[in-house]
Amino acid sequence: MSAASVRIEGLTKVFYDDSRGEVRAVDDVHVECASGEILGLLGANGAGKTTTLRMLSTVLTPTGGCAWVMGHELREAPQDVRLSIGFYSASTALYPKITPRETLRFFARVNRYPPDRVEERVELLIDRFGLSEYADSRVEKLSSGMKQKVSIARTLAHDPPVLIFDEPTVALDVLNALELREIIGQLRDDGKAIIFSTHVMSEAEQLCDRIAIIHNGRILACDTLDGLRGVTGKHYLEEIFVHFARDSEA
Amino acid sequence: MTLRGGSKLGIDRQVLTIYAHELRSAFRERNIVIYSIVLPVVMYPLLLWAIFAGIQFVQGQTDRLESRVVLVGLPEVHRALADSLEEKDGVELVPWEDSQDAAVSAIAAGRLDVLVEFAAPDSNGVALPNNFTVRLYYNEARDRSSGARARVEEVLTDYRDAWLDRERKDLGVSDTAWDDFGIVLKNVASPDEVVRFLLALIIPTLMIITVALAAFYPAVDATAGERERSTWETMMTVAASRATVATAKYLYVATFGTVGGLLNLVALGLSLRWILAPLGGSTEELASAGIPLSAFPVIALGTALLALFVAAIMLVLAAFARTFKEGQSMITPFYILLILPSMFMQDPDMEFSMLLASIPVLNIILLIREAIMGVYHMPQIAVTFLSQILFVAASIGFAQWVLRNEGVYMGTHEGGLGSFLKGWFSSRASSS
Repeated sequence: MSAASVRIEGLTKVFYDDSRGEVRAVDDVHVECASGEILGLLGANGAGKTTTLRMLSTVLTPTGGCAWVMGHELREAPQDVRLSIGFYSASTALYPKITPRETLRFFARVNRYPPDRVEERVELLIDRFGLSEYADSRVEKLSSGMKQKVSIARTLAHDPPVLIFDEPTVALDVLNALELREIIGQLRDDGKAIIFSTHVMSEAEQLCDRIAIIHNGRILACDTLDGLRGVTGKHYLEEIFVHFARDSEA
Repeated sequence: MTLRGGSKLGIDRQVLTIYAHELRSAFRERNIVIYSIVLPVVMYPLLLWAIFAGIQFVQGQTDRLESRVVLVGLPEVHRALADSLEEKDGVELVPWEDSQDAAVSAIAAGRLDVLVEFAAPDSNGVALPNNFTVRLYYNEARDRSSGARARVEEVLTDYRDAWLDRERKDLGVSDTAWDDFGIVLKNVASPDEVVRFLLALIIPTLMIITVALAAFYPAVDATAGERERSTWETMMTVAASRATVATAKYLYVATFGTVGGLLNLVALGLSLRWILAPLGGSTEELASAGIPLSAFPVIALGTALLALFVAAIMLVLAAFARTFKEGQSMITPFYILLILPSMFMQDPDMEFSMLLASIPVLNIILLIREAIMGVYHMPQIAVTFLSQILFVAASIGFAQWVLRNEGVYMGTHEGGLGSFLKGWFSSRASSS
């Protein structure tokens, strides 16, 4: 077993569709992510990013391959895996009828944060994300920017070592997206292992320590931006991505 | 397994945490509060008040109306009968020159209320001089006509009794001999029992409606509602097993079903005492009729078991829905199916057999019906509880199995429970 916080080996997901038959949404993916590192999963829509991350968060069961999160294998110890991750995506919304404080308390408790330290953790997150003024208002009353902050705080409620962000900026305006990227950068500095999926090249360039290019369910390359530049001889990530994508289809 | 803060108790704590979270959200959801809490509480008071106030209003309206009565062929010797009718409050004798058929048509059209036709007595009655037969024509479809018939009948009966009394004295029949021919009706049921019998026909049906209604919204909210709000995937990523999440959601739905049913029971008790009593009059007997105290624990337990069963099935059905609307349409057939047996059970002679005691829902209906009547068949009660517990356990297991399926919890399965089971059986068949 590797020392990496996240290790994926040959992860595969096959769906059965009445009209299309067998669909390999994710095909033999190998990738790793260490603590204090942001691994970018870069791919077009439908490339397999979300399916990979859903398998990693145990929402979906892999058809083949293995993956370990903090040493826990997905299928053998799914609850331990979920305990070790914080999962954030556009499809993981907040409960509208409860307050941010209640939200953080609930997610800390349900993710088995030590009960005697839950309140302390909740206050820390409220302070860190500047939620004090709205901590006791219902989530449904908050602005989208505030909801986003609560959502990230919710992801961190149980202080997980691994964070998964599935296209987190997709529905955000420029300023909120920038703020979110800054927060993710800080979390890396806190020593979290972060897997970040996006189809926005500039975002991957700015934020990720290493970038895995995923296309048609397969990882085509995984390296630092400089490493990818060296292999392809291209400078811009968009050119690099197109290079690999065309190569794979040739 | 190195679960932080985890222990064997930790699993229970997770169920309770999710359960409390579901309840907190639900109590802030207007529809759930209205349908699961408010409606069961106000249903009986409103329903009973509306029914009895309505009956009294209609009775009052009818009582105030004059009864238009036509006499045809009244023998001169019985002229006193016409006088008695005229003296009767609310009766107006209408002079009628037209034919008898025209009078009957007028009754059908609502222009007259009763036609009293005097005819010769039949062969048994000719022995008595001046005897006669009376035919009353009235319209059962009209309250005014029915009321008029009752008024005329009362006067006729009094007149007949007095006339027969005079005649028998003239014929020398003694009081003792005359009394020997009397008919005395004796109802062995007390007014309380009659009322309980009526309540026993109504309450089980209302109880099922209430429990199903109270569980309906929470079941849809806990599944399709979560998907619609995009919180379902959030819940799927928490460090709890699918079974834990399913159990907590199940308990949440069952709680609302049970609370709705029990609140309904309390509201019923209070309604009988405080809503019906002040109405008085013809409802006095009903107001004084108490459901035996011993029935309440049995009804409460039956209601809880019913709610546990209904909650599990509703949760399974709603699990396939992706939107609130889909959830409602998937549960509605089950809702109707639940109410149907209670309609068939309205037959008062239906016996609470061991076979019926083993059939869920039906057994609870019969159990509640008998408890209200103050009847307790212990073997049947035991079988009912046992059967209900088994069905509840099986339903929970089934709900957990269904909710563990990836297609179901991700909402990617097309169709409902039927297509899911069909797919499962065909995949089993192909793999073997």
